Amino acid sequence: MKWLVLALSVSCSAQNVADLVKQGEAVFVSSCATGYCHGVKGLASGAPRLVGRGFDQTYITGVVTRGVPGTGMASFATKLSRPDLSAVVAYVATLNGIASPNIGAGVGQTTPSPEAALTDDAVLGARLFSEALRGFGRCSTCHEVGGFGIPVAAPIAHVPASVAELKSLATPDVKTGAMGGESMPVLVLNQGRQSTAFYDLTSSPPVQQNAEPGSVKFTDGSSWRHASVIGAYTDDELAAILAYLRAVIKP
Amino acid sequence: MIVRMRFFPFLLTIASALAQDAGATHADWPHYGGTNFAWRYSALDQINAANVKSLTPAWMFQTGDYAANLQATPLVIDGVMYLITARARVFAVDAATGRELWRYNYPEPPPSVPGFVGNRGLAVSDGKVFFGTKDNYMVALDQRTGRLAWKVNIDDARQCGCNITAAPLIAKDKVIVGGSGGDGAHRGYLTAFNTKNGRLAWRWYVIPGPGEKGHETWKGDSWKFGGGAPWLTGSFDPALNLVYWGTGNAAADFYDSERVPEGADKRRDVNLYTASVVALDADTGKLRWHYQEVPDDLWDYDSAYEVLLMDREIRGRMRRVLVHMNKSGLTVVLDRVTGEFLGAFSVPEVRTWISGVTENGILVGRNEPQVGKTVNICPSAAGAKSWNSMAYSPRTGLLYVPVNEVCNDITVVNRAPEEGHSNMSGEFRLKLPEGRTTYSHMDAWDLVTGKRAWSIPYKYVLLASVLATAGDLVFTGNPEGEFFALDAKSGNRLWSYQTGAGNRGSPVSYAVNGRQYVATPTGWQNSVVGGLEAALFPDQNWRLGSTLVVFALPEGARAEGSR
Repeated sequence: MKWLVLALSVSCSAQNVADLVKQGEAVFVSSCATGYCHGVKGLASGAPRLVGRGFDQTYITGVVTRGVPGTGMASFATKLSRPDLSAVVAYVATLNGIASPNIGAGVGQTTPSPEAALTDDAVLGARLFSEALRGFGRCSTCHEVGGFGIPVAAPIAHVPASVAELKSLATPDVKTGAMGGESMPVLVLNQGRQSTAFYDLTSSPPVQQNAEPGSVKFTDGSSWRHASVIGAYTDDELAAILAYLRAVIKP
Repeated sequence: MIVRMRFFPFLLTIASALAQDAGATHADWPHYGGTNFAWRYSALDQINAANVKSLTPAWMFQTGDYAANLQATPLVIDGVMYLITARARVFAVDAATGRELWRYNYPEPPPSVPGFVGNRGLAVSDGKVFFGTKDNYMVALDQRTGRLAWKVNIDDARQCGCNITAAPLIAKDKVIVGGSGGDGAHRGYLTAFNTKNGRLAWRWYVIPGPGEKGHETWKGDSWKFGGGAPWLTGSFDPALNLVYWGTGNAAADFYDSERVPEGADKRRDVNLYTASVVALDADTGKLRWHYQEVPDDLWDYDSAYEVLLMDREIRGRMRRVLVHMNKSGLTVVLDRVTGEFLGAFSVPEVRTWISGVTENGILVGRNEPQVGKTVNICPSAAGAKSWNSMAYSPRTGLLYVPVNEVCNDITVVNRAPEEGHSNMSGEFRLKLPEGRTTYSHMDAWDLVTGKRAWSIPYKYVLLASVLATAGDLVFTGNPEGEFFALDAKSGNRLWSYQTGAGNRGSPVSYAVNGRQYVATPTGWQNSVVGGLEAALFPDQNWRLGSTLVVFALPEGARAEGSR
C-alpha cells in the first residue's frame, strides 16, 4: 500500500487534487458504475451506495485493493493502473466528505462541468449531436466531440456560421474509390506498403476497409454530399447543434 | 388402411432422420452453437462411453491473454481452429497439433471505454472471420491470413454503456450481432451487416418506437431506455429464412412504475419485446412473431439465451419446435413457424418468483420485489442458468442443462435513468438457499414431457457450457478445474481431468484425419456473474487463466473402443 500513500502525498497543490478527483470520477464511471455494480456518483445500483457512508480513506483503499469477501466486490489491485487506483480512492473519499491531509484542502471544490456554461440551445445541440434514437443518422456516427462519437472524420476545426453553410459544406477530403468493379465515395486513411485503409461512405455507418495495395484506385472528387447525411435533422435542430459546436470547439 | 399404417412410421423415420442431421456437427464445428440450430451436439462417436476412460490431452494452447478468462467457443473448419480470447486476440491454429498459423491482436480500447473484458466467440463465413469488440466494432479478418479486411462501429460504449461479448450469427450473406447494456439506460438492438463489405443490412430495435406495434406496452418515454439488450447469439433456420433471438430484461430492472402503463394486464405482452424470444426475417430484420416469456420482468430474468431448433413429435404431431430457457430457468417449447406455445417447464429446485405456469404459458403467483422492503427471491439475478449453453442429443432426445440454486435479496431503490449507466433501480444480494449442501446440478430434461431424466448434484456453481456427442457422452467443466464426461443416458461420471484452471467456456468436438478431438477453454472469470464465488463461497479462489485443452484417444484405445 506504500505506493498509494506516496502517490497521493505528491499531489500537493489544490489543482492537482482537483484533477486527481476528476480523473477518479472518470475511472469510477468506466470501471465501477457499470452493469450490475455501483450507480453513477456513488449512488446505489446493483451494488450498494457509496456516497455519504462515513468511510475513511484507509477503509476505501482496503476495499478497492482487496475487495470484500462475501460480496460481489472484487479486488481492483491488478485491474486498474496505480494512478487510476489512487484517483478512484480519492474520488470515493470526496463522496464521503473527506478532506484528508493526504489529499489536500482543494478536494471539496467541484470542477464545473463543461456543460454548465452552455446555453439552453447548446445543451439541446449536445443531446441531438449523439442522440441514440437516431441510430446511424446522428452526427456522432462520424464525428467525435466532447468525448462522444466515432472519429471517422478529422476533428472539426471550423464550425459553419449558419445552417445554410453547414448544408453546402465542401468536403474535398472525400474522393472516389474504385475497387472490384465498384465505385464508392471514400475517405482515405493511409496508403501504406502493406495495405490501403479507407472509409467506404456508401452507407451509414461508414465501413473501414483495409485493401491490398493496388487493389483500389482513388480519384479526386465525389458525388457524396455532407447535406445528404444530416437530412434526419430539422433546420432548428441543426442550428442548436451549431450552437453546441461553437461553444465547445475553439478555433 | 393397412397400407397407411405401414407408411406412417416410415415417413416419421425420414422426418426425424432429417431433423437429426440438421443440428449435428461432423468433422467441423462451424458455428457458435455447433450448427445454427444450436444443439452443441457432435455426431462423432469415436470417443464413447466404452472408451472415454482412456481420453488424454493431445495438445494445449496457451493464448497468453491472461486478462481474466477464456469463455469462447472455438470454431473448427477444414482442420483449422479459430479461437478468440477475452481481449479479442484471434488465433488460427492447426486443429490436430495446436501449431499457430496466424494471429490478430485487436487494439485494446482505452480505459475510458467502460465494460466487461470477455468474448464468447467468433463466426466464420465468406472467407472471413468475424467478431465483436468491447468498443462495439464488428470486425472481419481474412480467414486465410488473419489480415484485417474491414471493421465498422456499431455504438459508442462511452455513451451507451454497451459492449459486444457475444459471437456473431451468420445467416446467408449477413453477419448479425447483438450487444449488452440492458441493465443500464439503453435501448437494445440487433444489427446485421453484409459479410462481403461490412455495409449495414438492417437494424432491429428490441423496443418498438413511436407508431410501431408494441410501443403502447411502454409508459411515457420509458421505451427510450427500457433495456432488452440481446447480448448473446441467436439461431437461424434457412428453410424458414427466420433468425431467432432471445432478448434481455426490461429496465429499470426491479421497479416498474415508470415503465408499465396504468392498468396493464401482466399476463401477456408488457414492455415488448423485452424478455422474449423473437423470429425475424433474415433478409430484412422485420419481426415475424414474438413470444414474451417474462411479461413485466421485475427480477432481472433476461431471456437472451441460446435458441435450440429441432423437429419433434409433440402430442402425436410432428412439429418444427424451438426450445428456449431464460434466466429464471423457465423453459418454453414453441412452434418455430408460428410462435405457438406448446409447453413449458422450470429447472431450478428452489423457485419462489412464481408459483407456476398455466397450460397456456401464463405465469401464476408472481412474487414481485416491493418498494420499502427487502424480498428474498429464487432463483437469483445471476440466473438458474447463466449465459453458458445447454446441449441437446437427438439420440436420447434430452437437453443437458447446468442449473444453479442461488437466491437473492432484492431491495428496490427507484432512480431516474441516466443514459449508459446502471439502471437497475435496486440492489440484489446473492444468497444460498437454506437447507442445502449443494448449489448446482447437471440435469437431463425431456423437452416433450417436461420431466427430468436425471440430475447430478455439485457443491458449487456450474458456469461452463455443455457438449453432447453421438458417443452418448455429455461433457462440461466446473470452477475447480475439472473437465468431465457423463453418460448421456444415466448421468454417471465416466471420466474427469483436472485442467488447472476454472472452466467458464464452451467445449466442442471435431475430427481431423479421422481422429476425434474434444477441446475445452479453461480460465475462470472473476467479475460479473463469474465473480459470484466471492459472494457465495469466500473460501474459494478459483483459478484464472486462458488455455485451450484438447483431448483425444491414444491410438490403441481408439481401435478398441470404436463401434
